Amino acid sequence: MAMKKYSPVLALVICVIILQAIASLAGREYYLTQLTMSAYYCLVILGLTVLMGYTGQISLGHAAFFAMGGYTTAVMTTRNLIEMQGSAAVDLAVRLGLTVTEKNAYGVEILHLSPWVSLVTAVCLTAAVAFFIGIPILKLKGHYLAMATLGFGIIIYRIVLGSRIFGEADGISDIPQFALAGGLAVSGDPALRVQNYYIAAVLVVAGVVLLMNLVDSRVGRALRSIHGSEEAANAMGVNVARYKLLVFVLSAVFACIAGVFLTHFNGGVGPSEADVMKSVSYLAIVAVGGMANLWGALVMGILLNYLSLRGYFGSYDEFVFGSILIVIMLFFPNGLLKMENFRWLSDAAARVINSYRARGGEGKDGLS
Amino acid sequence: MSLKKIFIVMMCACLIPAAFSCKKQSGETIKIGAIFSVTGPASFLGSPEAKTAKMMIDEINGKGGVNGKELKLIVKDSAGSPEKAISFAKQLIEEDKVFAIIGPSTSGESMKIKSICEEGKTILISCAAAEVIVNPVASYVFKSPQNDRFAAQKIYEVMKKMGITRIGVVSSNDGFGLAGKGQLEKLAPASGITILISEVYDKKATDLTGVLTKLKAKNVQAVVNWSIVPAQSIVAKNMKQLNMKVPLFQSHGFGNIKYVKEAGEAAEGIIFPAGRLLIADSLPDNHPQKALLMKYKNDYESKYGEDASTFGGHAYDSLLILVEAIKKAGADADKEKVRDAIEDLKGLAGTGGIFNFSATDHNGLDINAFEMLTVKGGKFVKYE
Repeated sequence: MAMKKYSPVLALVICVIILQAIASLAGREYYLTQLTMSAYYCLVILGLTVLMGYTGQISLGHAAFFAMGGYTTAVMTTRNLIEMQGSAAVDLAVRLGLTVTEKNAYGVEILHLSPWVSLVTAVCLTAAVAFFIGIPILKLKGHYLAMATLGFGIIIYRIVLGSRIFGEADGISDIPQFALAGGLAVSGDPALRVQNYYIAAVLVVAGVVLLMNLVDSRVGRALRSIHGSEEAANAMGVNVARYKLLVFVLSAVFACIAGVFLTHFNGGVGPSEADVMKSVSYLAIVAVGGMANLWGALVMGILLNYLSLRGYFGSYDEFVFGSILIVIMLFFPNGLLKMENFRWLSDAAARVINSYRARGGEGKDGLS
Repeated sequence: MSLKKIFIVMMCACLIPAAFSCKKQSGETIKIGAIFSVTGPASFLGSPEAKTAKMMIDEINGKGGVNGKELKLIVKDSAGSPEKAISFAKQLIEEDKVFAIIGPSTSGESMKIKSICEEGKTILISCAAAEVIVNPVASYVFKSPQNDRFAAQKIYEVMKKMGITRIGVVSSNDGFGLAGKGQLEKLAPASGITILISEVYDKKATDLTGVLTKLKAKNVQAVVNWSIVPAQSIVAKNMKQLNMKVPLFQSHGFGNIKYVKEAGEAAEGIIFPAGRLLIADSLPDNHPQKALLMKYKNDYESKYGEDASTFGGHAYDSLLILVEAIKKAGADADKEKVRDAIEDLKGLAGTGGIFNFSATDHNGLDINAFEMLTVKGGKFVKYE
């Protein structure tokens, strides 16, 4: 039973390894850069899939949660504490090992907070914001919920665009690497490309396993019942408000973690990460992946982000994501990567196999 | 069935040498990457930049290329998103192995890829204005637009001559407006200017009478508006409506004749600093920039049917600097030699001014790159 459940995860892990092996053997490891970036965006999309697909709650504000993660770590780790050395707070942080000392590219010595501190801060902050925003707005339904989350997204976008601390229109640059344990570091350095690819892959696999188990549990069944009918779920004793809030906070934390990691990988963050168009593209990917379909969202998330980040859509990037959303909503409301949509394919395959078998049988008959 | 298969195999067989021959050709070309925000919020910068770069490359190739090699331009549209600029910069450096990168259009994107280009030892000639791009100096990173600081200095010089000491500043809430506001505030004390009031308005504002009334109440001797949006015309119109008779100064963002047309009568007498592209016709014939400016302006306007802007000029200058350096470094020079050659460029006339690079100055322009202009009879003329 467990074997069957985890076989797609195993397939994913094998895919991850094969992709890396091919890229390395072909001497084209640079393809991994955009794959790594896409993987981080996929974390946002996975969280959003559980919120939208399984629970039926729309969010047009997830780019804002992503940006909250990115900007929190950017602000906290780019501040040079060297001139503040001697103050009680900084000394305490140094003694507790919460800081990192290094030299930047221009030979200036820098003492900054450890990204671990900013990661924890970002997650707590995002969870708190999602919690307090979620309580009132998750009472809304349908269009009203979409509007409220859209409004939240726009507010965060305007805040990062208008605050000096967030670098206004320029964003924040020269963000240091995030040294994990055992010599691993999240960094855009080409020498660390392969390990960064695996760091991102591990996060995605962990995210998938976590969400798979969530969806497949008592909680998951409660979430799907909410999607079906909130009133009925309520009548069955499901605490609708609590579950909706739980999933909203969880998906926000997924976005936030993705934001923190991608920001350290890129070495910079800008207001475009909080842009509403970004939220729309996440939503489009969840929709095209099949709404309540973690694997569909994962495949589409990697594919579309990869194509977008490599510039294949050129100047038509927003057009592509916008039209995907329209086409999916009009013609494939259950998503593209749904088994029903491939029934004709499997039917055709079955027909071919059958006719082949039939002919093969005739041939045998003829021989005998 | 089998015929079809044979056909497909043959097609593939034909494609393989074709693919290889493409590879071979690239040995004879110099690849130049370009990251411009052709779409998105900074498209007013990226669009003319991309058009200018394409036009120049065609022209250079038409004349036989540089050192006998053809130039190949790879344009990437970042839509003003830093994460895309980062992705594209890595792609251009590692995958396309470009010789140099022109752009990005905005300061934010330029700062994000500054260290990527430095580590990748690929020349970057940015089309964005912020001084941090070249200060601290990164050995492979250059920029072509003039510093905002010089524009502010130039305005204060004129004010000094006019005897103005108490001013009001209004600026838009975008990167351009805030950078200018910062420079104005920083340089004011040294120039003997007091900023009585400094107001920021939304870049999409359609009426600024509220903001300007506050300035009027403070009895300012002049108003400085620093923005790059249509509000530049609105400020002029609103001042006229409020019967404010003090002079109006604008930033170099006013360097587009459409803002004069929008403001109509009210635009008369606006004073602003700008590159010489806008007054190319009235420059003396012996001015070192005259011939080049007239050529760029005429070529661009006849090819694209729209007014040439100083932004397109930044792409022109970036490419010009690169091409001149490649010529100077010789036929088989590598990136490092061309980089050295850029630092040796002196007295190079571009659209933005006369470039004099050095190991410590990766912009190469000084305050003389700006000229003070004013509006007279609906046209830009030199301010005297």
